[in-house]
Amino acid sequence: MSLPQFKLLRPRTVEEAVSLLAKQNASEGLRATRIVAGGTDLIPSMQQKLFEPQHVLDIRRISQLQGIRQTEEGTEIGALTTLTEVEHSDLLQKNYPVLTEAARTVASPILRNMGTIGGNICLDTRCLWYNQSLTWRKSCGFCIKKDGDLCHVAPGGTKCWAAFSADTPAALLCLNAEIEIASSAGFRRTPLREFYTGLGDSYRKLAPNELLMRVILPRSSAGYRGVYRKLRIRGSIDYPLAGVAVALSRSNGNVSEARIALTAVNPAPVLVKGASELLAGKIVDEELAEAIGDLAARTAKPLTTSALTPEYRREMIRVFTKRAVLAVASG
Amino acid sequence: MTKDFSIIGKRIAMVDAAGKTSGAGKYTDDLSLPGMLVGKILHSPYPHARMKRIDTTRAEKLDGVVAVATGKDAPNTYGILPVGHDERALAVDKVRYVGDNVACVAALDEATADRALELIDVEYELLPAYFDPEKAMKAETDLIHDNKPHNIEKDYHHVFGDPEKGFAEADHVAEARFIANEVTHAAMEPHSTLAALEIDSQTGKPGRLTVWSSTQVPYYLQHKLSLVLEMPMSQIRVIKPLVGGGFGGKSEVIPLEIIAAIAARKTRAPVKITYTREEVFWAHRGRPRTIIDLKTGVKNDGRITAVKARVVQDGGAYCSYGVVTILYSGALLGALYDIPNIQYDGYRVLTNKPACGAMRGHGTVNVRFAFESQLDELAAKLEVDPAVIRRRNLLQPPCVTINGLRVQSYGLPECIDRVVERSGWKHRKGKLTRGRGLGIACSHYVSGAANSIIRSDMPHSTVNIKIDRDGGVVVYTGAAEIGQGSDTMTAQIAAEVLGCSLSRVKVVAADTDLTPIDIGSYSSRVTFMAGNATLRAAEEVKKQIALAAAKKMNCAVEELVFRDDGVFNSKSINVGAGVPPVQAPGGDERGRSSPHRSQDQASVSGRVEGQILRGSLQQQRNEEGPKDFMTFEEAVVAAIDFHGALAGTGSYAPPPEARGGKFKGAGVGPSPAYSYSAQVAEVTVDEDTGEVIVHKVWAAHDCGRALNPVSVEGQIIGSVWMGMGQALTEEMVWKDGLLMNPGLLEYRSPSSVESPEVEPIIVESIDPEGPFGAKECSEGSLAATIPAIANAIYDAVGIRLREAPFTPERVLAALRAKKNAKLLDLTEGIDPTAPERFREHGGALWFKGKGPERHASDPARRTEQA
Amino acid sequence: MKKELIELQINGRSYELAIEPSKLLLDTLRQDLQLTGSKRGCDDSSCGACTVLEDGIPMLSCTMLAASCEGQEITTIEGVSEHGSLAAIQKAYGDWGGAQCGFCTPGFIMTVKHLLAENPEPTEDEIRNALSGNLCRCTGYSQMYQAIKAAIDAEQKGSAAVSAAR
Repeated sequence: MSLPQFKLLRPRTVEEAVSLLAKQNASEGLRATRIVAGGTDLIPSMQQKLFEPQHVLDIRRISQLQGIRQTEEGTEIGALTTLTEVEHSDLLQKNYPVLTEAARTVASPILRNMGTIGGNICLDTRCLWYNQSLTWRKSCGFCIKKDGDLCHVAPGGTKCWAAFSADTPAALLCLNAEIEIASSAGFRRTPLREFYTGLGDSYRKLAPNELLMRVILPRSSAGYRGVYRKLRIRGSIDYPLAGVAVALSRSNGNVSEARIALTAVNPAPVLVKGASELLAGKIVDEELAEAIGDLAARTAKPLTTSALTPEYRREMIRVFTKRAVLAVASG
Repeated sequence: MTKDFSIIGKRIAMVDAAGKTSGAGKYTDDLSLPGMLVGKILHSPYPHARMKRIDTTRAEKLDGVVAVATGKDAPNTYGILPVGHDERALAVDKVRYVGDNVACVAALDEATADRALELIDVEYELLPAYFDPEKAMKAETDLIHDNKPHNIEKDYHHVFGDPEKGFAEADHVAEARFIANEVTHAAMEPHSTLAALEIDSQTGKPGRLTVWSSTQVPYYLQHKLSLVLEMPMSQIRVIKPLVGGGFGGKSEVIPLEIIAAIAARKTRAPVKITYTREEVFWAHRGRPRTIIDLKTGVKNDGRITAVKARVVQDGGAYCSYGVVTILYSGALLGALYDIPNIQYDGYRVLTNKPACGAMRGHGTVNVRFAFESQLDELAAKLEVDPAVIRRRNLLQPPCVTINGLRVQSYGLPECIDRVVERSGWKHRKGKLTRGRGLGIACSHYVSGAANSIIRSDMPHSTVNIKIDRDGGVVVYTGAAEIGQGSDTMTAQIAAEVLGCSLSRVKVVAADTDLTPIDIGSYSSRVTFMAGNATLRAAEEVKKQIALAAAKKMNCAVEELVFRDDGVFNSKSINVGAGVPPVQAPGGDERGRSSPHRSQDQASVSGRVEGQILRGSLQQQRNEEGPKDFMTFEEAVVAAIDFHGALAGTGSYAPPPEARGGKFKGAGVGPSPAYSYSAQVAEVTVDEDTGEVIVHKVWAAHDCGRALNPVSVEGQIIGSVWMGMGQALTEEMVWKDGLLMNPGLLEYRSPSSVESPEVEPIIVESIDPEGPFGAKECSEGSLAATIPAIANAIYDAVGIRLREAPFTPERVLAALRAKKNAKLLDLTEGIDPTAPERFREHGGALWFKGKGPERHASDPARRTEQA
Repeated sequence: MKKELIELQINGRSYELAIEPSKLLLDTLRQDLQLTGSKRGCDDSSCGACTVLEDGIPMLSCTMLAASCEGQEITTIEGVSEHGSLAAIQKAYGDWGGAQCGFCTPGFIMTVKHLLAENPEPTEDEIRNALSGNLCRCTGYSQMYQAIKAAIDAEQKGSAAVSAAR
């Protein structure tokens, strides 16, 4: 499969990058500039003609976007930091273990060498009816997300249900992470949980002229115990079919603060509403863990976007959440 | 008791290993020719449609496009089986599956060709399509092929013995439906073909065609090319470069192989086509989804009294190997155990999906899954150890089974004993912690089909050997190395017979201009058949050398021993006790040869003895009178002087007594020898998630004799591993004729993380007709793995899984059903028996006239506007 | 699209090439430089047959734009053999059956090369994890573990022999 033809832009600074984005994107529409870092999401998608940009902006040379740093307010991870670096960071392992664990489950070791934390946060939503070649999509009449106007997983509907299928954002949501975004107009900060729209097609709030710069982990969630559980068929390579991240802090054996987030079962990674309240101040036992599991399962709204059935994936959210809660509490 | 071999039975690196590990070895897609064009194929977006019009003008006008080929350019039909000539390289009137081949663009580069595909205008008239074999069988109209009523490609109804009487005599009868879903080879190398025409010196016009292709069957490819292109076979040369895995997926002519040749002829330029991974899935020819209704009767002691099987195979849109597959499914019920009464009803059904064909363990795998699972069920009912019930049903070879299969060597009892011993079966089975279990199962396979696809008296393998004054041994074989070690096997056998070092032997293989006919690498035939042909060719040359050497050494031919690059007089040297160090003419000490002996040493001594010193040495020898030793070089030179040239030919055809019975369909199943396998699998099952982990598989395989134990073990492990993939993770998922997982990301071939340790155990039954007693080792183990895992799951958590693969959701659904827990429909979405679910979705909307054309953003329309 | 001039460092050599900006590193290696040892096995970045090292780190050359690699040192399978002889890991893959059809082998060798550079004595679990981004369809991976262990032994004996000679 050949790639569409495009011009490659290789800025060395964020300023250069955002000014290129501002310049190129004004009139390109369907062929708007795409940003490439590790390439593991964009390149296969371009082979499938899911994107046919006029320009591709390669940000790998922007050193400002690299590395993990401790700051006043917590820890900053540059958008270009590879998932391998996240996985092996002692600093993150010590303070934010749920993130290193989630990073460790992403795809395969080689793909983690390439894929970045920024790319994982921005990962395009996935669906069996969407992540296919042009010829394939043609034969099913395309879909809402690309080139068509119908949805194959929720017939009659006008909403796209493609599943958000990255691992680390679930962990980041549990850690109350914020992200910093640059554009030619300046910089903006937003909590990660407000970054996603919950719609499969326009799944994130990132304007065509914007660039994700870094993710910030607040000091307040440092030291949270955490566990990430991922449903997949193979022990490697696979995207998550369901994912659960649990992070909590304890005092005197009781949970003081807790957050649970799900991924791969909705068009956005989501925090399980009510879980924090249910857990706060309690000692975790089997029954409580089960209740949290049920709550998580009600939050999950998987559809037939991937190999396993929605019923099974929702069921596994329940089982995995219960197990994860017990594991964190007993750890 | 074991004969003392110098090369056979040794652990050696494959003769082509360095090319593979260094990256220097060339596969088809690695080749290029000056002026070469890239070919890209336009595929049908519809599962079943009549082609009303095809217009390639717009595509042809695109800059960089050299030509567009369509069905009209070569409309002849072909197919791997003479009874199944139902394919065209490019469609003429109809398309029969999503992915069927419509046209081919040859262009200067891939991007241009891809763009041109969007400019070909095809008008289709949609036809009702069939995706479920049991529904397809009821169809009266809109048949997939007009000459196949009810869409049945072929059905067979065999009765051996008296099954009704057998069931009446049984103390217990088990009956159930089993389903094995569709899987594919997924060889790492996507198919690739490069075709080029030469200009004929006499006519000045394009003449001979050369095709380099990733094929397991160069000779069949040459034959089908000749048929479709209407060129004499003598004008077609097929060369097989390295092949990156076949597993049956390259064992017949694949559309791109002919399309590349058509495009080369049309463009007058070399054309290379390499499939995308998605196209590999469309080309397919994998193992069909199979529905097996199986009934088995046993006596209280575990003896089987009768077996009845009704098998329906979802064969896809073309015949391919289908007739053979459905016959193997029945025939290979026999030859493993002694079954006195068998009834078999097999249906090969056409559906609007890519054609299924031959895949590792061809025909036997899915039925074996059902049979071994049911036998386990009966053992549990009878409270007989599952290993013991298998021992109670052994054949008593030499014998001929009730369905006419001749069995000579039979290592099954030893295979069972060895895995029972190695796995600690007796003290561990049924005694592991809850959730952990052991399961046993057996399987077998042919060592080559005794009857070739094209019925004729032609030998199945022929091998030529040429030895010249340089002392080099060149073996010419048509056998196709596809990674299984065919070339290494050939070199080993030639070297063993001739008593020369491996480095002396050069194998020239699979080039129809140079090598004699071999029908290819399929049905695990190469070691047995090409091996025997090599053995015979080498024996013939050896005889010629011996004649001359005996004369020189003044002894009888029978007294000569060929070994360690020399010819010895056994009377003078005690060869039987192992070759003693011999004072070689050069004066260097020659110990026992090791196959790892450095190549430099062999060639240096060869050069010194063979060329530089030859004259004076011979003179010296002549002066000294008869000797009890000659170097290989000296013996070869003597033989060439004596005979004028040194060449030998050997061929192999299976003996008539191995060719099976006389009934309709009796031709498939017979083999000169069968391999046997017994396996024990150890698994754990997570009862909350349904996830199954295979911890270890002990696999004993009777391969007759292990010619190269490294390779034999590799084949056993690889088979078991591929069986495990089919058991747990691999499945082609269809929605209305659309393959939902046409890539290695979603078609889940296991990664190293979840691949278990496999302990290969070699059992050597020394077959009376195999080369040095060898039989097949590459396919027979696969079939036992699936039921061994199923039976282990039963041992672990008490559920019987009758549908493969045992994905976590199927396992969990079965666990929930057993517990009568809140019933969750966990499998509906992927159960291909319920495609209706998707019919109401977008997948079928285009049937109502809302096809892709209406979309303004369809890239095809955008290109048009541009 | 117009071709652009780029300079790539591959196996210690510098190449100046005119390529389209949309060209993948894998295609550049195979088509422009005839370095065909890196293979294409899939189109969705899942098989690892095209693995090369970029500054010593395994990456998929099918998922990288050639032009994006300017300034990095690329090592392909062709750069692994030493002075025309097989490196220990290549020899061991042959001896122990780590390569059957051989199509995935170059990718695996690159991955293993990096593994052993980072971790000279990996456990079997570490080996399994490290190899899990490369798919093989022939071997079931088992014989690769033997090959890797043999290569480690050979390297250690080799270096022991070197130090003994000193």
